[in-house]
Amino acid sequence: MNFKFRGKRISGMAVVLPERELSFLEEMKNFNFPEARSLKLKEVMGYNKRRVVEPGCCVSDLAVHGLQQLFDRGLLKKEEIDAILLVTQTADHFMPSTSSLIQGRLGLKQDMLCLDLNLACAGFVIGLMQAFMLLEQESVKKVVLINGDVLSRKASPKDRNIYPLIGDAVSITVVERDASNATIHANLHMDGTRAETLIIPAGGMRMPSTPETAKLEDVGDNNLLAKDHVFMDGSAVFNFVQTEVPPMIESLLATAGTTVEHIDYFLCHQPNRFMLQKLADKMKIPYEKMPNNVVENYGNTGSATIPMVIALNFQERVQREKMRVCMAGFGGGLAWASMLMELGAMDFNTTIEYKQKS
Amino acid sequence: MNKQEFYQRLAEILDTEEVKPEDTLKQLDGWDSLAVLSVLALADSKYGASIKADEIRAVVTAADLANLVESKKK
Repeated sequence: MNFKFRGKRISGMAVVLPERELSFLEEMKNFNFPEARSLKLKEVMGYNKRRVVEPGCCVSDLAVHGLQQLFDRGLLKKEEIDAILLVTQTADHFMPSTSSLIQGRLGLKQDMLCLDLNLACAGFVIGLMQAFMLLEQESVKKVVLINGDVLSRKASPKDRNIYPLIGDAVSITVVERDASNATIHANLHMDGTRAETLIIPAGGMRMPSTPETAKLEDVGDNNLLAKDHVFMDGSAVFNFVQTEVPPMIESLLATAGTTVEHIDYFLCHQPNRFMLQKLADKMKIPYEKMPNNVVENYGNTGSATIPMVIALNFQERVQREKMRVCMAGFGGGLAWASMLMELGAMDFNTTIEYKQKS
Repeated sequence: MNKQEFYQRLAEILDTEEVKPEDTLKQLDGWDSLAVLSVLALADSKYGASIKADEIRAVVTAADLANLVESKKK
């Protein structure tokens, strides 16, 4: 499905990182796994360091801390926020929505919309699309899109497939109108028949958590996980990305009447270095145009990875000048979405550390 | 498909000198989940073959793997 938006821009961004840092090689010592293989994984996949929350820390804690910092530093005003869109798959509660909890904790005005969106790694691009649509309303002048998960809390410490890769973080993106900004093109696809590729089987209404769903089971290669944990079929995800993402981006560029050479950067979701290099190879995009260094610094943080690519590589530049970028997110659902836009001349782009109060 | 070239590429993935058609994959040192992923990528990029990880896990020898890739080649 194709979309077109006019007169919108990202005016500011912040990334909120939990302070706790883990080292891949240190963690792999907890698994019965030869060190030479760990080193190879580090080299090929880019697994190195990641940030995770302390026990008990929720998405709203990171988001409230980040927004409060922006208020305190005069980068954003409380009363300006007309909508909070929160993209997360690790909500604080089933009910109410976590965006409402954030509104309440920060004492934001009542004359606003709070909406949770249950989306995975395509959630930054899809969240932006929702923000643009809200900005079609005259009464909505500023939308705050929050992307974040604390998925490390749902990963089995005994599952080598996923545990050492997951990072926790929240990103805050301020979106507003700007008549001068170029037309934004976007497209998206969804395939619910492949919903079980990335799933937390238990803990919802279909399979409530019980002592039974907390039991660790061997899923092969000595990896143990429970129904309460996040499951990922890694090779199915790999095939999905290699098959679906290149045609999506090609179609987006064609619709916009442009080509790879005219795009400054391809800012993709960051599952690991290997997958991004294969994606670049397949689309004949030079590696330097598709940064892949989020995982080695912070881990795979779900829908917050695109804001993190921007903060990590272009923090100064996006405050100074405009770049023509193609963003692409892909993951659970399954869902995949891409967007072509002018990014830059932001009022702020900042990285905020979160220190948990004990 | 040039099988000799395929075995050479497989050897590179497995970080070994040579892979023979009769070699049993599971007995090769470097045959792990990363190798499976690398084979998926190789099949996709060099041969335009879309293979599932389950299909790779089901094959026994390097020759079986070469045949699988060839059968899925577009």
